[in-house]
Amino acid sequence: MRITAADVPALERGVALLGSGGGGDTVTSAGLLRRLIESGREPVVHAITELAADTLVVPVGLVGATAAFTEKLPGGDEFGTAIAAIERWTGVRGQALMSIEIGGLNGLLAPVIARQQGLACVDADLSGRGLPRLDQFSVAATGRGVAPAALAEPGGQVVVLAAGSDALVERGARAFLASSGGWAAIALAPIPAGELAGHAVTGTVRAALELGTRALAVGESPDRPALAEALGGRVLARGRVLEVSRHVGSSRRGSPGFGRGSVTLADHQDGALLRLEMENEYLLALRDGEPVASTPEVLSVLDHRTGAPVLCDAIRVGAEVDVVCLAAAPFWTDPRRLPMVRPRAYGIDCDPVVSQ
Amino acid sequence: MILRRVLALPSWHGQVRVLAGEAGVDGPLQTVRPALDASGTPGEAELVVLVRPLDADWRVDTLLRRCADAGAAGVLLPGPEPLTASRLLADRLSVPLLTSTADPLELLVDARMLLAAPDLDRATAVLATHRAVGERLLPPEEVVTVLRRLTRVPVAVLDDRGGLLAGELTGAARVRVSEPVPQRVDLDDGGVLLAHPAVLPRPSVWLAAELGERDAPRADVVAATLAVAAGAVQRWLLANRLELERDARSRSALLGDLLRPESEPGADLRRRAADAGWRLGGWHVGLRIGVPAEVDTVARTQEVIRALRAESVDAVAVEHGEGWTGWVTFDQEPTAQRVRTLSARLRAVHRSLRRTLDADLGVGRPHPHPDGLAATVAEATDAARLAATRQETGHFLHVDQLGMAQLLLEWTRTDTFDPAARALLAPLNSAPGDLIRTLAVYLDAESSLAETATVLGVHRNTVAARVARIEQLLDIDLSRPDERLALHLAARAVILARP
Repeated sequence: MRITAADVPALERGVALLGSGGGGDTVTSAGLLRRLIESGREPVVHAITELAADTLVVPVGLVGATAAFTEKLPGGDEFGTAIAAIERWTGVRGQALMSIEIGGLNGLLAPVIARQQGLACVDADLSGRGLPRLDQFSVAATGRGVAPAALAEPGGQVVVLAAGSDALVERGARAFLASSGGWAAIALAPIPAGELAGHAVTGTVRAALELGTRALAVGESPDRPALAEALGGRVLARGRVLEVSRHVGSSRRGSPGFGRGSVTLADHQDGALLRLEMENEYLLALRDGEPVASTPEVLSVLDHRTGAPVLCDAIRVGAEVDVVCLAAAPFWTDPRRLPMVRPRAYGIDCDPVVSQ
Repeated sequence: MILRRVLALPSWHGQVRVLAGEAGVDGPLQTVRPALDASGTPGEAELVVLVRPLDADWRVDTLLRRCADAGAAGVLLPGPEPLTASRLLADRLSVPLLTSTADPLELLVDARMLLAAPDLDRATAVLATHRAVGERLLPPEEVVTVLRRLTRVPVAVLDDRGGLLAGELTGAARVRVSEPVPQRVDLDDGGVLLAHPAVLPRPSVWLAAELGERDAPRADVVAATLAVAAGAVQRWLLANRLELERDARSRSALLGDLLRPESEPGADLRRRAADAGWRLGGWHVGLRIGVPAEVDTVARTQEVIRALRAESVDAVAVEHGEGWTGWVTFDQEPTAQRVRTLSARLRAVHRSLRRTLDADLGVGRPHPHPDGLAATVAEATDAARLAATRQETGHFLHVDQLGMAQLLLEWTRTDTFDPAARALLAPLNSAPGDLIRTLAVYLDAESSLAETATVLGVHRNTVAARVARIEQLLDIDLSRPDERLALHLAARAVILARP
């Protein structure tokens, strides 16, 4: 699948929707992708079936403060450095790349890096949506493990988290990010393409592109059924934001927690109050006090007029928005993996609400 | 039981706020359940009291929702206020959302007590009131203070016309003072005005309290409290009255001794006058306030003294017979100007008294020394008696203005004249028409039929007919000066002697 200039807006919209309010602003990474295509180097994304089973695929992406990525641009070769570090540590060379996270800016970054590194890009990722922590990657859920992981930050430091539990790798990475530039390129140990079906969420780039295409086709200020049909999901509410409350989250395992908050809006249709609990992503939706949707389903808040997804840290009182719920990736609804991404994994003591 | 009644409990009032869901506070309430977290399922008509703050504020919303689904009575949250989102939801679901910084378990215990024994609240309040006001004699101001503390609502003591005696009350005018029975008036804003009369002694006073909308469900408790406190007010009034009476009797006796026509008061009498704060030396101007016999002079002495003080008249005033006798003392013989000023002030005092009293005021001339006191008081008394018949001077007379009338009056006061006058006019008593009054007015009006008719409010022909009948009945000729003079004096004496 070749990504053309015409595909960029749809892919951007698709990954932003899958970000569930998190995953970072896609503007910068979309700019990088557009620039690459304009220079005549259109990236190609391969389905896993197109690759030999022993093709080694390195998951890459950006971790840390995605807002800092917009302010502090890549110095040049952070991704190449991270890939080189993991290749040196594992002693094998990567032959293809895949994204760590389809939701948000990382969904656009993998094709760009692959093209720059002269490697193939694989249509799969480790999240299937927007996820905030390394220990929530699909490789952690399947038991393959996150370690070893190499991080390269724009200041030049490189760190390899060689071994340790997924939680320790997450803690180590956070400590490194806090003491360095705020964001870093990450590369995980290469995974043979033949094992991707069991350890990654596959086909997500194509799915994001299709989702984005349908979302753009529905136009501005769509009616509710049209929006629901275009996104293949549910419209939970459409209305004006009445309250946005943010506070510092409770810490987990001694590390400071992410900021927590809630958004409340009144549905224009019947006056019902829809409340979203959020961390880096929108995690739980209560309608008149009753849980109606939760992670791992994808909860997105769209600007009512433009349909553009609104990030958790950008939502404001007074905004006219649509709250939509997209089905969770089947990878996550598997009972063995659900605990990694259910509300309790975020400290929200509520059973997951997963629509059939 | 309804939640609104629980909210009016003393321990809840001011401690528990209804943040939202006000529409539900009149819903049924059967049980109050403590909860450690939001996980339990609320029961119907149950108030869920969280004994510690919830770990996440979205749980408030889910709890409200389950309360609404179960028909629960409401939720009480301790600690930090929930988000606007929860308030909006409580309003939307009509589930009362209460917050408090007080100990939730204590609130819960009090609410359960009320549910188990609704009369206990009233009994506790009555006992507390009794303890506070039952033992000692408390002035109304203190009774009001005690009641305000116990009931936490505005309380006031009102007089028999609804005027404030102590405390403050905006709705005092709504008390129906003409009906001396316990009253309950529902106010427009959802509040309640309660009033309880203390019937003895006459005139009755009222103990009233005004309850806001939040307190209105506790009106029965406050009413019982007022009834107990009204007893205390009554006791204070009676004791006060007793003291006033004793005081009045001793002052009346002292006044009587002073006015006795003796040459010089003895040392004992001087001492008693000094103890009472009365000066016997100097120049005195007497004054006399006469009132109808049914007026309770002892009870209203303070009113008279207040009226005098209000006009800066530094006078002694003593209950004496049907009215008050008093005087103003000057160090030196007062100038005519000072007397006129005093007269003008007394006129003002009289005007203010006449608003509530059917009073006649007479003022004497300045006289020096203790014997002069008796003289000026006697003049004032005569003036007051005369003032009673002189509507035209506004029931106020100053002896300086009396002249001839005073002289005549003195003559008619002799023991021989009075029976003679009655005998002379006796034939007129049995005739129809008030012939004696007609005769007096006719002679006052210098034998003018027209003037007499105007004063009496009858036609001049009626006057002419009456005068003719008087002449006929008495067998007398009114054109003869001697007879006219005798009849004039007799008519005046008889009219003054009338009750």
